[in-house]
Amino acid sequence: MDITFMLEILPQFLSVLPITLMIIVVSSLIGFLLSILVAAIRIKKVKLLNPLMGMYISFTRSTPILLQLFLIYYGLPVVLALMGIHINDINATTASIITLIIYNGAYMSEVIRPAYLAVERGQHEAADSLGFSSFKKLTRIIIPQVAPIALPGLGNAIIYLIHDTSLVFAIGVVDIMGFANIIISSNYGMNQIEIYLTIAIIYWMISMVSEQIIKYLEKRKQRLPYNGTVEEAA
Amino acid sequence: MLSLKNLEISFNNEQVLKGINLTVNKGDVVTLIGPSGTGKTTLLRCINYLEKPDNGEILLGDIHLDYTSIRKKDILKIRRKTAMVFQQYNLFKHRTVIENVMEAQIVVQKKSKEAAYKKSMDELEKVGLLDKIDAYPSQLSGGQQQRVSIARALAVEPEVILFDEPTSALDPELVGEVLKVIENVAKSGMTIVLVTHEMSFAQNISTKVVFMDKGNIVEEGTPTEIFYQSSNDRTREFLNQFYTEKNSI
Repeated sequence: MDITFMLEILPQFLSVLPITLMIIVVSSLIGFLLSILVAAIRIKKVKLLNPLMGMYISFTRSTPILLQLFLIYYGLPVVLALMGIHINDINATTASIITLIIYNGAYMSEVIRPAYLAVERGQHEAADSLGFSSFKKLTRIIIPQVAPIALPGLGNAIIYLIHDTSLVFAIGVVDIMGFANIIISSNYGMNQIEIYLTIAIIYWMISMVSEQIIKYLEKRKQRLPYNGTVEEAA
Repeated sequence: MLSLKNLEISFNNEQVLKGINLTVNKGDVVTLIGPSGTGKTTLLRCINYLEKPDNGEILLGDIHLDYTSIRKKDILKIRRKTAMVFQQYNLFKHRTVIENVMEAQIVVQKKSKEAAYKKSMDELEKVGLLDKIDAYPSQLSGGQQQRVSIARALAVEPEVILFDEPTSALDPELVGEVLKVIENVAKSGMTIVLVTHEMSFAQNISTKVVFMDKGNIVEEGTPTEIFYQSSNDRTREFLNQFYTEKNSI
């Protein structure tokens, strides 16, 4: 194994790292927002939309994400054409982000929904009986209790998302994985192990950093009760 | 001060309350008694709209509402004039004792933190829990939790406090401390509507006892009238059964 070679190629990967990070950050944030909407529709059992969301979650979680990636990349222009919007093809990075948003919207909603339902009815009723508005009840009483339950699951979702981004090279996005394959082919298939090991370490690092962020948030949430009301009110 | 007119509510096509009329005057301690499944708790929960009546009217202070045309704003208005003490306490689990009592004062009544803190300390002193202000609900006994929830209810200075079987979930040895606190609240002149199975307690603190059966108010009167002078068969049957059970233990 050639460690110097690994150190040599590492800087080259840093040039494509922003693409991977951008895909992770954008699809986790928008995916999270989407998942809140989906969870809300399912919890409130909104007519028509609720069964639709059930189908959406079932489909997304039951089909390979690679397949979904192809469906969006090749299928979305066709669907848009049917709606009268003509584009020749869609940008591979955009297609990747859309796919991961759709996937995470479903996946994370199934973390948020049970976490929300785990908060007892009595907590809602206590806030209601004291005249809290729906918004205040949500922000002051319910979300602070949902967050500690949901955070570990959301953390896992983000780790999976980081791993899933390694699939987007399949439609031609030059992310870390895509770049690795380019180096390998221009190297006539040599040093594959070193190259893959290098990007494995990069993925590891990204995952570790995200894990630390989630852990920090978990701790912050747990500490909240001690100074929550007093500090916020001041 | 509080009056309900022709209040009706159904669950799954079964009518649970069949046209209730009830009047509570300022300073009254009204106790609802009767067999289980009779609608006592439902009636109590209709007063602050935790249950949504199908028909009827409510008069509370200067609010007069018809349940068939109630708006969200009206619901908040009613809830801000009342407070409830639940069977299962329902303290906010992520908040300490003092924060539980302060929360609604700050969020709903928009009081300053200092004012809310002072008021909360006053109320916690009344229920004898000044030494627990920084504890979390999970660190307290049931009796202590229920006393906090009473302080939380008192702290918003409601026009009426609704007690929903406040001692039913408690270990027997903890019932006394909570009843004592409720008795003090009653003595302070607070208007109270109480659902309870503690018959001797009901007899002692009530200004009015309401006997309910199968979704109707069968009879109402002073404790003496209901407990000793009732000529209603169902009332007497219920009370006899209750005392027989108690004596047989």
